[in-house]
Amino acid sequence: MTQKILLVEDDATTADFIVKGLHEQGLAVDHAKTGRDGLFHAIDGSYDAIILDRMLPGMDGMAVLGAIRAAGIATPIVILSARSAVEDRVAGLTAGSDDYLTKPFAFAELLARLRLLMRRASAGPANAVETALTCKDLDMDLLSRKVKRNGRLLDLQPREFRLLEYLIRHKEQVVTRTMLLEGVWDYHFDPGTNVIDVHVSRLRKKIDAEGESPLIHPVRGAGYRLGARE
Amino acid sequence: MTLTLRSLTRVALEEDAQSFASSLTRDVRTAYAGQGRVGARNFSALRLLFSEGQAPVLLMIDKEGRPLLGNLMRWPAGLHEGWNVVVLARTGSDQADTIGVLVTRLPSGERLLAGQALENDQRLSGIVDRATGTTLIFALPLALFAAFAAVRIINARVDDINATAKAVSEGRLSHRVSLDGSGDTFDRLAITLNAMLDRIETLISELRVVTDGLAHDLRSPLTRLKVRLDRAETEQNPTARSTAIALANEEADRLLAMLTTALQISRAEAGIGQDHFEPFNLSTLTQDLAELYAPLIEDRGFELKTDISPDVAVRAHRELMVQGIGNLIDNALKYGASPIQLMAGQTATHAWVEVRDRGVGIPATQRAEALRRFGRLDPSRTGFGAGLGLSLVQAVARLHGGTIELGDAKPGLIIRLSIPL
Repeated sequence: MTQKILLVEDDATTADFIVKGLHEQGLAVDHAKTGRDGLFHAIDGSYDAIILDRMLPGMDGMAVLGAIRAAGIATPIVILSARSAVEDRVAGLTAGSDDYLTKPFAFAELLARLRLLMRRASAGPANAVETALTCKDLDMDLLSRKVKRNGRLLDLQPREFRLLEYLIRHKEQVVTRTMLLEGVWDYHFDPGTNVIDVHVSRLRKKIDAEGESPLIHPVRGAGYRLGARE
Repeated sequence: MTLTLRSLTRVALEEDAQSFASSLTRDVRTAYAGQGRVGARNFSALRLLFSEGQAPVLLMIDKEGRPLLGNLMRWPAGLHEGWNVVVLARTGSDQADTIGVLVTRLPSGERLLAGQALENDQRLSGIVDRATGTTLIFALPLALFAAFAAVRIINARVDDINATAKAVSEGRLSHRVSLDGSGDTFDRLAITLNAMLDRIETLISELRVVTDGLAHDLRSPLTRLKVRLDRAETEQNPTARSTAIALANEEADRLLAMLTTALQISRAEAGIGQDHFEPFNLSTLTQDLAELYAPLIEDRGFELKTDISPDVAVRAHRELMVQGIGNLIDNALKYGASPIQLMAGQTATHAWVEVRDRGVGIPATQRAEALRRFGRLDPSRTGFGAGLGLSLVQAVARLHGGTIELGDAKPGLIIRLSIPL
């Protein structure tokens, strides 16, 4: 079943760019140009995710967010905002959004995060008691902190372990550098550096032995994906 | 003077009491005549209740001396008919009341005393109230006139403040509120306002400098971006074209990072973020950063050494500290030479983080310039605070009320960020 996204964005260029991009990914999109309109759509329709711009004419984004949550609608919401200060991000998340992207953003970033939120929402309550994660021939034992590939024990640093854990938990999904920085290091900004790349390349060297097919694939313009080769 | 006043007051009080006693007596006797003992008793109870402010004293006894109504327990000794001023000892207290009462005998043989306590606070306040009322009637016009005059003076001072505010909001920043030298409330207000205007003027001129500098510094990267996009447009070869677009994109990213940092700097300079301080372990944070950068540092062929004192607890803006320290490490990578040392510790008053490298360092004479704008904006640099170098760290230090110090590692550079504990 095609997933449906609601985009609440007043800027025509940004909206156009997002709508086109989402269509190309096989997602259906409804576009509301004002806060009030967005609120009506959100309450009426059943969307798999909502993209909400913070600065909207009339009813502003934060008010729309508050109203949607007050109406008991749990649809995952990503806020788009030009305001990048940590205080604004915290305010947005506390008010009930599930993610916060600062403008300008790469479409790949928005897409990766949207997919993550939609997958999380449809997966139901988190299974917090899992003790092992697997992907193909890679096994991670979360209790003993041991990782094996094809039965071969890997020697990973604690941070490398956490990095691999994040990738495996999001297997077959595009994970951006900023998502990794947030999920593994708890830093909330774009370093603009290839700091993350170096960490990932170290990890790849450790998990891909001679002759084994690579598990971690770089995704151009986006980030990385752990899983089967496409 | 005081004695006369007191005796005058006493006379006034007594005259007052006598007329009160007369009217109370009359009223009780009327009630008795009309409704008998029961009616008189009810009337008295009500009357006593309502005239409480006047400290009334009332007692009616029958021929046998038994109390019939009133608020006294027994008939005082030594009373004669007519006006009496006696001192009554109150049962159960060592306070004595002086009372002035009118004693009369009813036709049916009962005796009645009615009056009030003299030299009683309640009575005094009653008299004072009446006096005040009289004074007010005379004072009101005077007060109105004084208020009118005061308003005129206040208006004049307020108008001056208004005019200054208007001038400032129109951009004439150097206007100040004038003082009249009297040191009064308005002068004090003027001093406070002027201090505030001084601060605003400084901030705005600093901002002008930053935005002027920033606008100038943006020209080069923007030109580069334009060049790349132009090339992408004219490029026929598809591969070369996408490469050109990708490079243009990178340039745009660098520009954005630069602007974001410039914004962060101005926010930090303006003191925004001070209410987002939280307690955390600076040692852990520094260690985490070392770990984040370690692979990159090694890849560049540098050695990283750490010497971090454990458990340095601070109360600071976590994210800005991360960016500031990251900035320092990044600078060392770009401009310094191996080995890079990352250290953290604390003194009695401050927590500090230090980055040392073994490069060429910065000569003492150029250190001030370096802190202002480290080596012009160089967008070919990547990393935290791309291009704005130490300006951000400086702003972060200032936000926390701390400092940045540059030193000589002989050879090399020492940069220390200190914040108060």
